[in-house]
Amino acid sequence: MVDILTATDLVKRFGDLTAVNGVSFSIADGETFGLLGPNGAGKTTAISMISGLLESDAGTVTVAGDSVGTSSTKAKAHIGLVPQELAIYPDLTGEENLHFFGRLYGMGGDDLGTRVDEVLDIVGLSERRHDFTKEYSGGMKRRLNIGIGLLHKPRLLILDEPTVGVDPQSRNAILESVESLSDEGMAVLYTTHYMEEAERLCDRVAIIDEGKIKAEGTRRELVSLVGEKDKIAIVGSGSLGASVEPVSQLSGISEASSSEHRLDVLADDASSVLPSLLMAVTDSGGVITGVEVIEPNLEAVFLHLTGKALRD
Amino acid sequence: MSAAVLIATKDLKLRIRDRSFIILGIVAPLSLAVIFNLVFGNAFDAGTGIGLELGVVDLDQSESSRGLSQLLEAQDDEFLTLTSFDSVAMAEDAIGKDEIKAFFLFEEDFSQSLTSNQAATIFVVGDIDAPTTTQIAAGFAESYGTSLDAVRIAVLTIVQLTASPPAGNPLSAAFSYEFTDVEAATRQLDGNTYFAAAMGVFFLFFTVQFGVSGLLEEGRLGTLDRLMVAPIKKSSVIGGKAILSFALGIISMGVMVVVTSILMGAVWGAPLGVTLLVVAGVLSAVGIMGLVASVVKTPEGAGNLGAIIAVVLGMLGGVFFPIGQGDDLLSKLTFLTPHAWFMRGLGDLADDAPWTAALPATGAIMVFAVVCGAIAWVFVRRSLSR
Repeated sequence: MVDILTATDLVKRFGDLTAVNGVSFSIADGETFGLLGPNGAGKTTAISMISGLLESDAGTVTVAGDSVGTSSTKAKAHIGLVPQELAIYPDLTGEENLHFFGRLYGMGGDDLGTRVDEVLDIVGLSERRHDFTKEYSGGMKRRLNIGIGLLHKPRLLILDEPTVGVDPQSRNAILESVESLSDEGMAVLYTTHYMEEAERLCDRVAIIDEGKIKAEGTRRELVSLVGEKDKIAIVGSGSLGASVEPVSQLSGISEASSSEHRLDVLADDASSVLPSLLMAVTDSGGVITGVEVIEPNLEAVFLHLTGKALRD
Repeated sequence: MSAAVLIATKDLKLRIRDRSFIILGIVAPLSLAVIFNLVFGNAFDAGTGIGLELGVVDLDQSESSRGLSQLLEAQDDEFLTLTSFDSVAMAEDAIGKDEIKAFFLFEEDFSQSLTSNQAATIFVVGDIDAPTTTQIAAGFAESYGTSLDAVRIAVLTIVQLTASPPAGNPLSAAFSYEFTDVEAATRQLDGNTYFAAAMGVFFLFFTVQFGVSGLLEEGRLGTLDRLMVAPIKKSSVIGGKAILSFALGIISMGVMVVVTSILMGAVWGAPLGVTLLVVAGVLSAVGIMGLVASVVKTPEGAGNLGAIIAVVLGMLGGVFFPIGQGDDLLSKLTFLTPHAWFMRGLGDLADDAPWTAALPATGAIMVFAVVCGAIAWVFVRRSLSR
């Protein structure tokens, strides 16, 4: 896949504070890339430089081959930004907001009308399109905020913590909207300090703290960095002790132990070994009543890399 | 449609939708022009002078008490008429019959109080329905008292029919009054035109704020970031706000000119000259208020500071009352405001003068527009460069 975004050695200083210090990463076409880090880690500053809102002190950004700067209108046309704070006009309707920003990106005529209909459908606001946005709920405003960002079909959509302060129902709707974007082939840069969102949405994740990227890769690559393994707990109606030996011999299983009605297994990749594991337990006479898989999460990775929790 | 025009069109829609522009840009100046004209209009009627109808009851009959009468009688009859009465009752009767609006009362011991270094009082009794004339009469008395250069003289204004006793320090209730030839000061602008133009240019400075403080408002809404990451130039964003300010100013002044001409009989002068003055006036307002908006951080700050600047410039520029054109400092300071030049330009267009008569004032106003506008543009561009 072709890289849509390439950020190289980005640096931004505010006085004595170096908010972003040598950040580099790239995002391929259709890929969802997460920038995971606590508040104040430098996420917003980094995407401000990537979106052309902020001039970097050092480093370069290219989007779809065009260099990004605060004055580079060509590169900006490839980018859609969904800022962390709401950025909509309360005294315009949802549809009017979309039409205004669409025209700002050079859209017009029937194409704009059709695209506005599509976006309203994507963010679930078709029924409220003619209402002033000041009458929208917080979640609806958030969804429109996202809709404006993806209106002009950008090659790269940047979402800066789009679910902060959103109720669970709207949050789920937003996450579903983002998931559908990658299906359309749009590259997505998603910043969050919610580990669950990064795990659910992102193909690759960069962990950022104190302005530096600590690690980058798929969830599994990051987890392997810290040596964590998947934990599988199998509960049976009788003793599962006879299953320990055959299970231990399976490929991809590093450890197995039993206690009363329970069999605990450590595996490199739970999803790949689970079928053979269950078969081995059944073949050894075990009767399975429950299975629980606990995969090591990015919270543990972050803690390992930075020595602090994500929400610190 | 260019990005700047697109932004201006969006903002215009918002301003019309929330009615703020309609109220501040059209209703307020029109209403105040009508009210000011009703209250003060007679004082500006060209050809008939101020037309003050005053009386005097001199029970003291001394040189000191006669001095005021002699001073006022020396004035042109077009400015005032002064009638002597033998008693307070006769003077009050004249007020009741609407023959005079106010009278001066010198009691028997006026001169004696002066010479014995005691408080001496000139009473000013006025018609409750003629507060302006009464206040002007009080001003005459105050000025006269000052000119005596002797003892403290209190000027006491009693409003007839209220039957309320004099309250507070009479001196503090009075005010200094400069007897000004209004026609000369405004160069033949009649009352209708004067107040229409004055309120128009005064509120113009509030009206254009809707545009120039728009960037701060966009920042508050968070939409400024969206504008800045859009594939448009910074100058388009700033230009959009400037275009809106200019459009609102032109609409506001245009409505004032048309409506006051039709409904109030205002005579603005040669259309081309008026157009030049209006365009220059609007540009100067955009420049000055843009400069104000460029040095504050919030829309509220811009509104507050802008209001102060607008009121100070308006007062100094003579929109509430004409500032004389003498050699005093105030008369010179007044031309540090575009308001004064605007009013002067309209005065120059009076009496069927050609449009070219407005060129000097237009040029002066454009100096404000160019200087302030250029500085504001630089400041705003710098603030958008992050």
